[in-house]
Amino acid sequence: MADIQLEVRDLHKTYHPGLFEKDVEVLKGLSFEVRRGEVFGFLGPNGAGKTTTIKAITEIIMPDAGSITICGLPHTDLEAKRRIGFMTESPYVYRHLSGTEFLRFCGELLGMPRAGLGRRIEAVLDEVGMSAHADRKMGTFSKGMLQRTALAQALVGEPELLILDEPLSGLDPVGRRDVRDIILGQAAAGVTVFFSSHIIPDVETICDRVAIVVEGEVRACGTVAGLMTDEAVISEATFTGLQPAELQTPLVSSHAGSDASWARVAAAHRDQLIRELADRGARLVSLNPVRGNLEDLLMRHFEGGES
Amino acid sequence: MRAIAAIAANTFREAVRDRMLYLFVGFAVVLLVGSKLFGMLTVGDQTKIIKDLGLVSIEFFSMLIAVMMGLLLISREVDSRTVFNILAKPVRRWQFLLGKYLGLVAVVAVNLALMTLLLVAVVWLYQHEFDPMLLFAGAMTLVEMAVLAAFATLFAVLTRPILGSLMTLGVFVIGHMSEDLWLLTRQLRGAFARAVIAAAYYLVPNLERFNFHTEIVHKLPIPISAVLWALAYALLLIILALVLADLRFRRKDLL
Repeated sequence: MADIQLEVRDLHKTYHPGLFEKDVEVLKGLSFEVRRGEVFGFLGPNGAGKTTTIKAITEIIMPDAGSITICGLPHTDLEAKRRIGFMTESPYVYRHLSGTEFLRFCGELLGMPRAGLGRRIEAVLDEVGMSAHADRKMGTFSKGMLQRTALAQALVGEPELLILDEPLSGLDPVGRRDVRDIILGQAAAGVTVFFSSHIIPDVETICDRVAIVVEGEVRACGTVAGLMTDEAVISEATFTGLQPAELQTPLVSSHAGSDASWARVAAAHRDQLIRELADRGARLVSLNPVRGNLEDLLMRHFEGGES
Repeated sequence: MRAIAAIAANTFREAVRDRMLYLFVGFAVVLLVGSKLFGMLTVGDQTKIIKDLGLVSIEFFSMLIAVMMGLLLISREVDSRTVFNILAKPVRRWQFLLGKYLGLVAVVAVNLALMTLLLVAVVWLYQHEFDPMLLFAGAMTLVEMAVLAAFATLFAVLTRPILGSLMTLGVFVIGHMSEDLWLLTRQLRGAFARAVIAAAYYLVPNLERFNFHTEIVHKLPIPISAVLWALAYALLLIILALVLADLRFRRKDLL
């Protein structure tokens, strides 16, 4: 069995906003595990429960039920926390501190030896490309600079497990490439990376394995290639003489055109679609297997096509 | 311990960069102008007036710091979500609270030390008299402010910033009226009103226990037992307030 760095089991969380407001069930028995050395993507639309899961892992919120272990330890154990590096969704930093002061503060919280802390801070700032701005107050930083500094504080303790919440969102193309390279560099150095995103190309590019989370549940989990193999069994039919909305065959997705329309169906429903088109006098123009992508898969789960 | 010290130091540094220590300048102006003014208007011992005005001003400005910093003590960390960075690291929530509290006390202490030294200097200037009891008064005001800061921390966890500051201010005001409240409970006729006043008397700390201004200004003896009781009382109140704050904050979801 692979060495598990992060294990989340049957996590439940309901928020109680107020006396006269409806409870919001955000996590509904969410489970997944992240193996040592892999880059694990936590993919889902906004509101799926990604940030809530990460907040539960980092003890910022308390789950109602379920268990979380980090490197085999309960997530509340201080030793477990010492082994993780965490970067929040937006870079939350102290505007009155410089980059160096902020990292020193983080090093103190981590209990790092003072002797080597200065050198480690210099190395990390260099790694994220912030050496030139090390002594500037963070209140004067751009979004990209804040993001890099926030990443630096996650790296300063040389973590075994990096937990990054939407690390690439809000960055310009150069910033995205740089942060992506840093993540891949950490992975190459043996650090396990768990990161959430709703940006599919990032996940496809970086991740070894992916969990697709929708409405507080993991709907699919596996390697990107493996999930895509499952998707490849979709067929796309182009036809005339009938609108997709009139079809009774369950569709994955469809588009109604003025001339021809197309519809995508799962393998199990392909023959049913062919029969229905023939029975109802429509003309089937073409029928081709489609190479699906993560976006199709996510949308299918999001729109409730599969559960 | 390092985490607590780091959080306290960061809180202190933030307050300094927020120019919180500038309140000292306000105190200096009040003391210097007030001393001159009251000196001209008063017949009698001018030094007593300066000491009295100085000690009351020190207490007032220290209270202002506790209330103003209490306003943002926890909420700024939670609202700006910088607390996420802290709690995701090997730091317990009680350590975070204690660090914030000690940072607040440190800011009050530095301001208080500066104000007390200025008062000592002004007294020396007017009377060429060094009164070490002024340092004792400063120390007892620090004890009082340590209690007030603990309640500011508790209210910062329990409620929203403005309300928390008002509650801290309320503790300060009612805390200095404890003796009067006690007398009032004996004179009121209505049972309900008497119960409300009695509840305020028992719930709000008696801050007059830390006030030795009269004894110091008029050079009266101060029983050591009164000082020891005041210190024990302060310690009890601080522990109580911080434990209550921890109980509330321990399982609080930070959104």
